[in-house]
Formats: sequence, C-alpha cells, structure tokens
Amino acid sequence: GNMTESSSTKLLNGDACRRTINGKTASKNGYVKNRCLFQQPQNLYKKPFVESFEETPLLVAVLTYMGYGILTIFGYLRDFLRHWNVEKCHVARERDEQKDFVPLYQDFENFYTRNLYMRIRDNWNRPICSVPGAKMDLVERVTHNYNWTFEHTGKVVKDVINMGSYNYLGFAENTGTCADAAIEVTQKYGVGVGSTRCEMGNLDIHEELEELVARFLGVESSMAFGMGFATNSMNIPALTGKGCLILSDELNHASLVLGARLSGSTIRVFKHNNMQSLEKLLRDAIVHGQPRTHRPWKKILIVVEGIYSMEGSIIRLPEVVALKKHYKAYLYLDEAHSIGALGPNGKGVVDYFGLDPKDVDIMMGTFTKSFGAAGGYIGGKKELIDYLRSHSHSAVYATSMPPPVAQQIITSMKIIMGEDGTTLGADRLRQLSENTNYFRRRLCEMGFIIYGNDDSPVVPLMLYMPAKIGAFGREMVKRNIGTVVVGFPATPIIESRARFCVSAAHTREMLDTALEAISEVGDLLQLKYSRREQPLPSMGWMSEESLLQD
Amino acid sequence: MASGQQWVLVEMVQAFYEAPAYHLILEGILILWIIRLLFSKTYKLHETYKLTEREKEDLIEEWQPDLLVPLISKDHPSLKYNIVSGPPSHKIIVNGKECINFASFNFLGLLDSERVKEKALMSLKKYGVGTCGPRGFYGTFDVHLELENRLAKFMKTEEAIIYSYGFATMASAIPAYSKRGDMIFVDEAACFSIQKGLQASRSFIKYFKHNDMEDLERLLKEQEVEDQKNPRKARVTRKFIVVEGMYINTADICPLPELVKFTNNKFQIL
Repeated sequence: GNMTESSSTKLLNGDACRRTINGKTASKNGYVKNRCLFQQPQNLYKKPFVESFEETPLLVAVLTYMGYGILTIFGYLRDFLRHWNVEKCHVARERDEQKDFVPLYQDFENFYTRNLYMRIRDNWNRPICSVPGAKMDLVERVTHNYNWTFEHTGKVVKDVINMGSYNYLGFAENTGTCADAAIEVTQKYGVGVGSTRCEMGNLDIHEELEELVARFLGVESSMAFGMGFATNSMNIPALTGKGCLILSDELNHASLVLGARLSGSTIRVFKHNNMQSLEKLLRDAIVHGQPRTHRPWKKILIVVEGIYSMEGSIIRLPEVVALKKHYKAYLYLDEAHSIGALGPNGKGVVDYFGLDPKDVDIMMGTFTKSFGAAGGYIGGKKELIDYLRSHSHSAVYATSMPPPVAQQIITSMKIIMGEDGTTLGADRLRQLSENTNYFRRRLCEMGFIIYGNDDSPVVPLMLYMPAKIGAFGREMVKRNIGTVVVGFPATPIIESRARFCVSAAHTREMLDTALEAISEVGDLLQLKYSRREQPLPSMGWMSEESLLQD
Repeated sequence: MASGQQWVLVEMVQAFYEAPAYHLILEGILILWIIRLLFSKTYKLHETYKLTEREKEDLIEEWQPDLLVPLISKDHPSLKYNIVSGPPSHKIIVNGKECINFASFNFLGLLDSERVKEKALMSLKKYGVGTCGPRGFYGTFDVHLELENRLAKFMKTEEAIIYSYGFATMASAIPAYSKRGDMIFVDEAACFSIQKGLQASRSFIKYFKHNDMEDLERLLKEQEVEDQKNPRKARVTRKFIVVEGMYINTADICPLPELVKFTNNKFQIL
C-alpha cells in the first residue's frame, strides 16, 4: 500500500532491501517487518565466518563446581586456624599504631585472593630477563612458604618458548632495523620528553608518527598517546557525557568500562557478539529515549573490540556497521589486539572484512601488541582529532610518548606497510596467518575445546577445573614452554582457560614442540574434553580419540 | 467429632447474633468492595503508551543525533602545537628557533645526562623497546623488580610498585583503596589526575582550602561528631587524606610536619 512506500523512501543509504530481498508482501496495516538485515548476513561477509564456543560438558561443570566448593570449605578452615593463631599468618597487616583503624581490606573481600589465588600464584608475574620474543629466559624463583614470598635462586631458565607475550608480528627484538633506529633516536633526543603535548612535548617525531598512523589506517588524521589503557579511559569521557548512551559489549576490556563510567553517560550492555541483542537495545533506546524523562538521546555510541583477548572471537563488524548506519549511532572500535594481526595487509579488523575505514567513526588501537612498543592511538575524521587535541585529558595533562618508543612504532609500521623497500612485512603477516591456522587446526584435532574464531591469533584452551589451572601452568614450564593461564575474575568462574598467543616469530619446529608438549600435558591432566566429530585426516588418530572419549 | 464441629458452629452463629450492628455493616461493605475489585476491568493506563510497530519505525527515522564532536574553530590555540626538534635539554629548539628551556620538567637535568642515555641504550640492546604484555603475563622484567626494590629503599618504605604512565598512577591508586562509602579529605588545588581518581572511586569527597590546616581541622572535628552519632557506620568507613608534596597548580609545598602532628596518627595519609 502507500504506507510502505512512503516509509521506505524515508530510509537512508538506499536500504531498499525492505520490500525486494525479503520477498514478503505488506501485511494488513501496510507495514513490512524490517528484519532483512539479519536474515541474509551472508551478503555482508566475503569469507566464511567460523566461530565456535563449544558448550561445557555437564560432568565437567559439576566437577568444577565441586572443586570450588571443596576449596571454599578448606579456605574457611584455614581462615579459622589463622584467626586462632594455630597457623602463621602472612597476610599484610596494619602497623601497631594503626591497629584501631578501620581495616584497609575487609576480610571477606580478600577471601578469594588469600585462599585460592595464593595457592597457584607462581603461574603469574613470572620475571623474565631477555627479549620477550619467540624464546625467552625466565628467572627461576622458589617459594618456601607456599607462594606467600618468592626468592630468586640466581639461576636462569634459558630458551623457554614464549606462548604468552603479545608479540603477533615478532617485532619484540633487540637487533634489526627497528632497534637500530630506536638507538639512533635515543642518542639524538634523549630518553624522555618531560612535558605535555600541548606545551613543549610535541616533537617532530610525534608529528611524523601521527601522519604515518593516519596513512596506515586509511583515515584523515590520528593522534597518539603514551599508554593504551589511558587512551580509552581518558578519551571516552571527552566524547560522551550526560544524556548520551553507550552500548558496550559484555566482555569489553576494563579500560573501556572505566572510560564509559568516567564519562557519566548511561551504559547498557549487550550480549557478546550478539547482533540481535544489540539491535533490540538500539531500537528500545531510540524509541523510548532517556529513562524517566523520555527525552531523545543526544548521541548513541557503540563500543566494541576487534579481537576479544579472553575469547579469541572477532567482532561481527559488517553487521555492526550496517546497524550503525541504519540507526544513526556512532561506532568506537578498539583494535588493541587486532591491529597488525588481522587482515591481508595487517591493517586490522576493517581490512580483514574488506570494509571502508571511513565507516568506523572512532578507530582506537594500541602499539603494545603488534608493534613491540607502547602507547595507543585514535584515528578518525579531522574534526574528531582536532576536538580531541583540545579536549582530551591526556593531551592537556599527561606527558607525551618517549622518543625511542615513537621511533620503534614508525619503523615497524613502515616495515608492515612495505615502505622500507623489503618484503619483511608481508612475510611476517603471511607467517602469522599460517601459524594461526596450523596451531588451531592441530589443537582442535587433538580434541581440546578451543574457543574463538578460526583466524584469530589468540587461542584460548579450556581448562575448567581450578586445580588444572595451576597444574597446566607448572607442567608446561617444566617442559620449557611459557604459557598464560587465566581464571576468575578475568573469566566466568567455571570457564578458566589457558591462552596462547601465536606469533610470526614462531617457526614450525617451535610450534610442533609446543603442540607435542600440550598434547602430553593434555593427556596427563585429561583436558581433551571436546565431543566434536573430528575431520578424517588419518584414521588411526581418529579411532584412538573416539575410544578415549567414550 | 461431629459434636466438636457442631459446637464450633453454634459458637459462630452465637457470635454473629451478638456482634454489634456497625461491625456487621462494616464487614458487609468490605466484602462487597472486594467483590467489585475482583470483577472490575484491569487498569489500562499502560496500554495507551504501547506503541505500534509503525510508530516505532517513525520515531527511529525521525531521531537525529548530535554531531559526534562539536566543531572547533580553526584558530583554537590547541591546534597549533609547538614543534620541538632536537633534545629537550637546557636549550631547546622550538619551531626552528633556539630558546632557553623553562618549560620542560627537568629539575635535576637528567633528561640529557650521558650516563642515563648509556644505560638506556644498554637495556635497549638487551631487551628491545617494548614489553609485549602486562605485568602478570611475562611482562615483568628483572629490571622492573630491581627498580621497585631501589625505590622502596630510596623512599624508606617496605615495598614499591611502578606504573608505566604517570597520570594513571594516582588515578588507579585512589580507587584501589577507597571504595564507595568511604571518606576522602582532599586539598582544593589537587591536580587533575587526583580528581579523576576521586571520581573513579565513588567515595564521599570533602575539599579543604588550599594548604589551610585550620580548615582541615574543622572538617575533621565535624566528622568526629558525626561518627559519634553513628558509631556502627564509622567502624566500617575508611577515611583518607590526599595531599600533594608539591602542587602543580599553585607551586606550593604542603605542610607535612603540621599535618602529621595534628592528625596524630589517626588518619591514613595518601
């Protein structure tokens, strides 16, 4: 009828899909339900998007809860013994003069730290004494009182394969063009700057860096900051305020959450990577307006990450961009892990999906992971960056990036873009994607439960049970492989995992050694939970696996 | 059993006859009211607010957000940064001109000390530039631990912790200790990083006049009076005083000896 025609002409961006692709006819009141955006997601994706989050097997979940229950009971027992001085107490206590102060930490808040985290604390904060490259040297430390204090024995464990550092393109090195350029700059400019960006802290290196970053991302202009975490927490408050709405993913990083909280806007959370949940929130927000007053929102900002580091999943960017265009929201994309690591040219998740960088309003990222330096950047339209230069907390109050760090970023970015004249960048990108695919495929074949997208270099391997967290970390170090294990509160309580970061610096032999060790430890700790059907590469392997699982 | 029931029934009927009239009338009215409420139609106010799909689509199309950022005039001073080429030491080259440097924070002149540069280069040749990870996941180097030990010895404290960004230090430390419901007394001229930390901690904030110890004493005495009124709450509220050693906004030094003397070890000073 006339009503559908007039409503479809009012649409933006020629979303004429309303009546044609759907193939539906108008219903009684002349209105066609607009669900076509999500009935054909295949139109938006140029390659298959394969992500899997296998469900926790029921027996494992029950055993995990039992494990935590037993640990809690023992925790209470130990607290009781400590209270009555049967057991020596190592917990930090106030000085005698301050005994009648209100205690700094409530006893219960620290229950988890005291009784569960302390038991396996030796898996974290491991000091290293070499470049955090593909192989590293660990400082050996022993504890004589069950992880309350550590001592360094003075010995060094050499050549531990590093599956924990964020070194996706292998730029963490102390030789080569990057290091030489950084050395030159240190000799010329010194180590620090000693001033803020808007006073005397703006070196010509910073200008070069920002222009290079803008060219790399394909945006009009960009601005660099000294710390990645602080980039988020200090710039989101400059962009939104009271009367604005922030829609953030469930599993966003702490820096995004802190920035959103500090801004004073209303925050609503949508389910992880779930486009239906996001669309529902958007519709409700626009239709009903601000809570209680029902005034229209000033702005809506969707905050998502490129790769989620705990899940290994990649954001469904084409769908988010389509949604944002339809509902006139703004998009803030945090590419902390994905810049340099995804995409045929290393330009991040926008490159990976083949989208236009101008569709993303605010592209944020960090230089810590793929570029081997430190700091963060924000890229976007010129008006946005000009506004940030004058209103961002960091630009006005915080010291600018040190010169050697800025030079490291410049050199590594030029290598990735191929502007230094060699094919080193392209080789590394290809090596990374080959390593990722190989590593993930082999782990899935072995029967582990692996979360996340097939193309993401972050590989979480599920452990579930609390005892296995500590055991996995320690067994891997015994076999000379350094891994990262994560538990509560970074992950939900029963979904603790080990997380591997594949790097372009890993050779096939290193990956094979690592895979053998992982398989050995997996058999020892019974970690091969997966109940999926395995593909049929070699019959012998598969029949053995299916016997084990039955 | 039948006799028991009969007996109760007789009692009921007797009570009925003996009750005063007003009582029976009141009860009768109440019963009639209940019956009316049960059978009347439900309150329909929310139905008039339910929007049809059509109206929702119209609202979505009509809504226009504000611009992401307001436009800045081209002459805003922050858009013209001074470009420094060359090391920021005692003399500094700004926009091509050589000037004496009174702007950088270089109190001890260590920014261009040769010893510092040499050690930095040695460490660069050993470790590379970046750490590629947070402290918890292979981002702790032996030099970090050594620095923390030395800092602790230098400041004569038990332990020390380092952060990679100066601004973030105060903004993270305050919310780590002071949570919602706690009390913080802070100087008016506190720097921006402290203000952000206070905002993130969500505690009660009370400002006292800059470097004015009497004002602080007055506030503390008021707080003591409040505490005596409500001792249970006082037992769980932590109280902190936040001062800076040298204020960046006003360039004064805080009177630490007086502060310690009159708080007399009753407060935790950050």
